[in-house]
Amino acid sequence: MPLDTSTTYPLTRLRLDGRRWNELRLLQAQISTNPASSGSSYLSMGNTAIMCSVHGPAEGRRGEATGAAGSAGAIVEVDVNIAGFAGVDRKRRAGGSDKYVQFSLRSISQSSRIATTLRSAFQSHLHAHLYPHSTISIHVSVLSSDGSLLAAAINACTLALVDAGIPMPGLLCGCTAGMSGSASTPRDPRHDELDPLLDMSAPEEQELPFLTVGTTTALPVGENNMDEEEEESKVAVLNMDSKLHCSYIETMLAVGMDGCGQIRELLEGVIKGTNRG
Amino acid sequence: MKSLRRDLPSNPQASNVASKVFVRSTKSGKVQKIVRELYLRQDIPCSSKLCSICPSIAPADANGNIAPFILSDRPAGTKAFPHGHYLVPDTNALLNGMDLFEHTGAFYDVIILQTVLEELRNLSLPLYNRLLALIKTDEKRFYLFFNEFRLETHVRRGPQESINDRNDRAVRAVATWYEEHLRASAKKGKKEKSIPALVVITDDKDNIKKAKAENVTALSLSDYVSGLEDSERLLDMISEAREARESRGTAGQLFYPEYLSMSKIMTGLRAGTLHQGVFNVSPYNYLEGSVKVPSFNKPLLILGRDNSNRAISGDVVVIEVLPQDQWKSPSSKIVDEEAVTRNDNPDSEETENVVSENERKALQEEVKKAHGKNSEGKPQPTAKVVGIIKRGWRQYVGHVDSNSTGSQAASGRRQQTVFVLAMDRKVPKIRLRTRQAGDLLGKRILVTIDSWDRDSRYPTGHFIRSLGELETKAAETEALLLEYDVQYKPFPKSVLDCLPSEGHDWKVPASKEDKGWKGRRDLRDLLICSIDPPGCQDIDDALHARPLSNGNFEVGVHIADVSHFVKPNNPMDFEASVRGTTVYLVDKRIDMLPSLLGTDLCSLKPYVERYAFSVIWEVTPNAEIVSSDFTKSVIRSREAFSYERAQKRIDDPSQTDELTESMRNLLRFSKILRQKRYDAGALNLASPEVRIEADSDEVGDPLTDVKTKAMLETNSLVEEFMLLANITVGSKIFESFSQTALLRRHATPPPQNFEDLINQLSKKRGMELDVSSSGALASSLDRCVDSQNPFFNTLVRILATRCMTSAEYFCAGAHAEPEFRHYGLASPIYTHFTSPIRRYADLIVHRQLASAIGYEGEDGHAVIEGVSTRSKLEDICQNINYRHRNAQFAGRASIEYYVGQALKARGEQMAEGGTDSGIDEEGYVMRVFENGVVVFVPRFGIEGTVRLEDFVLPGESNAWTVSERKELAAHRTTDFDIEEYKLRVEEKGHSEKERGVTVELFQKVKVNVSSVKEEGRGAGKRRVRILITG
Repeated sequence: MPLDTSTTYPLTRLRLDGRRWNELRLLQAQISTNPASSGSSYLSMGNTAIMCSVHGPAEGRRGEATGAAGSAGAIVEVDVNIAGFAGVDRKRRAGGSDKYVQFSLRSISQSSRIATTLRSAFQSHLHAHLYPHSTISIHVSVLSSDGSLLAAAINACTLALVDAGIPMPGLLCGCTAGMSGSASTPRDPRHDELDPLLDMSAPEEQELPFLTVGTTTALPVGENNMDEEEEESKVAVLNMDSKLHCSYIETMLAVGMDGCGQIRELLEGVIKGTNRG
Repeated sequence: MKSLRRDLPSNPQASNVASKVFVRSTKSGKVQKIVRELYLRQDIPCSSKLCSICPSIAPADANGNIAPFILSDRPAGTKAFPHGHYLVPDTNALLNGMDLFEHTGAFYDVIILQTVLEELRNLSLPLYNRLLALIKTDEKRFYLFFNEFRLETHVRRGPQESINDRNDRAVRAVATWYEEHLRASAKKGKKEKSIPALVVITDDKDNIKKAKAENVTALSLSDYVSGLEDSERLLDMISEAREARESRGTAGQLFYPEYLSMSKIMTGLRAGTLHQGVFNVSPYNYLEGSVKVPSFNKPLLILGRDNSNRAISGDVVVIEVLPQDQWKSPSSKIVDEEAVTRNDNPDSEETENVVSENERKALQEEVKKAHGKNSEGKPQPTAKVVGIIKRGWRQYVGHVDSNSTGSQAASGRRQQTVFVLAMDRKVPKIRLRTRQAGDLLGKRILVTIDSWDRDSRYPTGHFIRSLGELETKAAETEALLLEYDVQYKPFPKSVLDCLPSEGHDWKVPASKEDKGWKGRRDLRDLLICSIDPPGCQDIDDALHARPLSNGNFEVGVHIADVSHFVKPNNPMDFEASVRGTTVYLVDKRIDMLPSLLGTDLCSLKPYVERYAFSVIWEVTPNAEIVSSDFTKSVIRSREAFSYERAQKRIDDPSQTDELTESMRNLLRFSKILRQKRYDAGALNLASPEVRIEADSDEVGDPLTDVKTKAMLETNSLVEEFMLLANITVGSKIFESFSQTALLRRHATPPPQNFEDLINQLSKKRGMELDVSSSGALASSLDRCVDSQNPFFNTLVRILATRCMTSAEYFCAGAHAEPEFRHYGLASPIYTHFTSPIRRYADLIVHRQLASAIGYEGEDGHAVIEGVSTRSKLEDICQNINYRHRNAQFAGRASIEYYVGQALKARGEQMAEGGTDSGIDEEGYVMRVFENGVVVFVPRFGIEGTVRLEDFVLPGESNAWTVSERKELAAHRTTDFDIEEYKLRVEEKGHSEKERGVTVELFQKVKVNVSSVKEEGRGAGKRRVRILITG
């Protein structure tokens, strides 16, 4: 058994993988990895690796896109596939031996939850009204999963959508933030020391409560060049599955949004090509 | 998860990320490969106060604090290291010498590596926890250095390298780095020479050799300790386990069968062929153990050493039931380990079998299959231990058996092996190797068990520390506290910092506008008084009663508002939750809360205003409850009575003031309530309690201090209202917190617990005990009266109490509602609310009740204070149940010790004036064995075994010494009638009626009680001797 955050973090202020509380994991990304698609990206945050490709906007095939709803703008479709080898245990696909069906069901439900979140996030984020009666389909493949899956997926999608040239008001960047210490009991106003952690890895996610936050810059770049320095970010995605006393949320949110800002700079670097060999 | 990182070649940061790859197997047998990232960095401080570089790079945490540097700039030196040294222990050094590292005389400035901590955690969780506790204390200056994350000290495992070698290399790398780092960074003005040395402590010879080659100072634990002052004492504290195994090697013969493998155990448990339970040893016979498992309604017997197979009382064991032809009846003999195995030599093992000849004899009686008709003789299922899930080993208090020390004991400093007899009779002798046997004789010592190998008859342990001379007050008190795991250290500063800054001058704010008054009712004009035992300082509760205009009465119980002062999750709350309860010893009180709160600010002292939590009822003149109300309040107690003074005042007809009237009303109500409770089926139980008034230091008879508890009407007055308050509060908090209310239950005992008692009563007295319900039991207990023997009823009640389960705290979600019942009180729901100063459970209940009534408190936080998660509450329940039980044991043991001392003091006084003839008392036979009886002496509240030699036959003098009497045992024969619970003792060859003594169960006997020194062994060990004189 390796050590755990809740015992060693208060002693050394170092996390299980040697990071400080406000450090991101190593983030590496590439775009245009798959020339056959309209836009594609590969992104890794630590040991979480995600491949993403975008097709479209293409003429809608489904009734939804062609019907009345489609007239308002493009429909975003998201498909998330978590590879069987992505986790610690290799999972068989359903249809193999019966024994593994329930395992794969769980991973399917996880992937469909991520897909739903991504769809609603990007549906409202993209300027979809420019493409009536069409479909933008995003395909996300998780190659390796080591925490912050939703955040990494958001970032990978953003890159692939930029690569595909689909207009959006700003980069939508996701990041996780957790809280170490006894976060299930109310915060003690007399000992106001909080230990938030940025960018959770899988062992930390299992141990501590965390949330995923996705932010975007408030105004479309270009219209308000004047004060670029004071970019205001806006929360577009917020997701939390763990139980936590509400008094901690504000701090976690602040830390998470700060992380999103760091990620935004990194992604901009990737897009501008400075990071592309 | 991917194991091969494909980094983009251009990324400059990627080179600082390493991967840790390891393989682990899951419970189901699957093998998993785990890949973890490691971010290597250069900002991990060395934490030495000497360093001039690290303070500038040490990073801050989320709140902007920088951890203070720990390692001293002037560490202690030894002969070998005159300029001081920092220690870097490796894992096996910690495994073998954790007690040394905890020692306060040496081992300061220690660098604990992440590598070592992780390895230790895998090997031993308890040691890991002790190490963490050490790191957290400031005094010992232990620094946890995360070497794996520091770029310079990170070590990659070579292709052919074993994990062990790699970890050893990591330790050496740290030592090298530290030395270079300190040399480079030591503050200017320090000479090169005064830089402390880095000393690696390892017990691995190979590692020491390699260290020498790399120019790193490395010493084995024993070599290092030898260089310290006081080395002899310290050397004993190194764990025996490893050394012993090496030295004895394969020469030893294997005494015990091997345990089954884990997978076999798991399969067996699942299939139901094996059972798991807690191993318990009989207090009368050390060779007889029992394990209670769910699939049998009676405990399974485990007879003899080979069947108990190295299990020690308290271990969680796995057992296999023996075939039916080996089922036996429980022992009817008293077997004492000291007596049977007193001649065992701690050093030699060669001639022994597991079951020595003496033990075999002792066991023979059980081999005889009993043909009896009653349950005592019926063969019971027996079992043998085949595996151990979890050892319940702890530290044991004991003394060195003087028989086991050689003649050279006092002379040489040679290491020798001795036996330690633990204070707890259920624990076998512990083999101990020591160089200071001579010094330890006659001392109370603390030891721990390291291992029990198959080739050793007794477990092996090592010495931790000496508590002082046997029978000195300080040593015995500390021994008691250690034995029952009572936290007796003074409160640390962090706890005292939580006290109100005003100290004893704290007062209830005068202005009602003050935030302290928020949500509190002003009850200062009520005539409230408290009734407690004499000399009580921590007054938890106070009462009042007053007539209302509608003919009903208002009755109030006011409890000290401790939750106002102890806020959740601060150090004081944490300390209290660990202590769980205040422990009362005869001459000492170990407080749960600092005494400023317990005896002053919270205590509902008379004539001053205090915060309280009040429960107020409206009752009809017939004590029917009309309504109940809960509120935080401010009260002013008018008087603090002792039970006796209150009783006198009530009985005195000339007193007609309002306060006395209100007490009379309370008394009248309490009587009605009591009757109602009994009508509902509450039990009136008895326990052998005596009280000791330890204020007299005069020369008179020391025994006058020992008093049996007198029950006055005022005692039950207070008791009834406390019960009522607890029940009312219990249902209120359950209403609000259906899952997390902290309640107390007393499970209905299974009828088979009473089987023996029912048999004995019907046989000896023709009485019946109806155990179908608590009410039936209560009324049948009332009928168990012997007109000739007024104490008989109490005796039966004591015996019946022992058949029951003990009450426990629990969290409402843990049981279904019908299981909440409190059997003894015949109440459907119960909790503890009325003593928050001395019980942590009450404090939690206070917080829950405050939340339930929507009390907001000074800062509006009180509402959430009562809310807690169920899992956290369950942990608390487990701890307070354990503490509560131990506190009771400790209290009883303290009284027992005091009685023994009082008898001894009296004996000494008598001896001055002539002979010590003991004191004559009445006793009652509680149990009959084949070679003795157990007698209960109500005057002192003690029970003791009476062996054959302690029967005074007609015509003998009772003034013989212990050793003279010992001789007698061999000349005596007994005639034991198991059916009739009768034992006849007579001289061999003299079976004339008048020469023998016959005793039977429940019989009243004349006894002579004295405290005697055991001669010829355990130096200075005393026991209370009971002689049956007729």
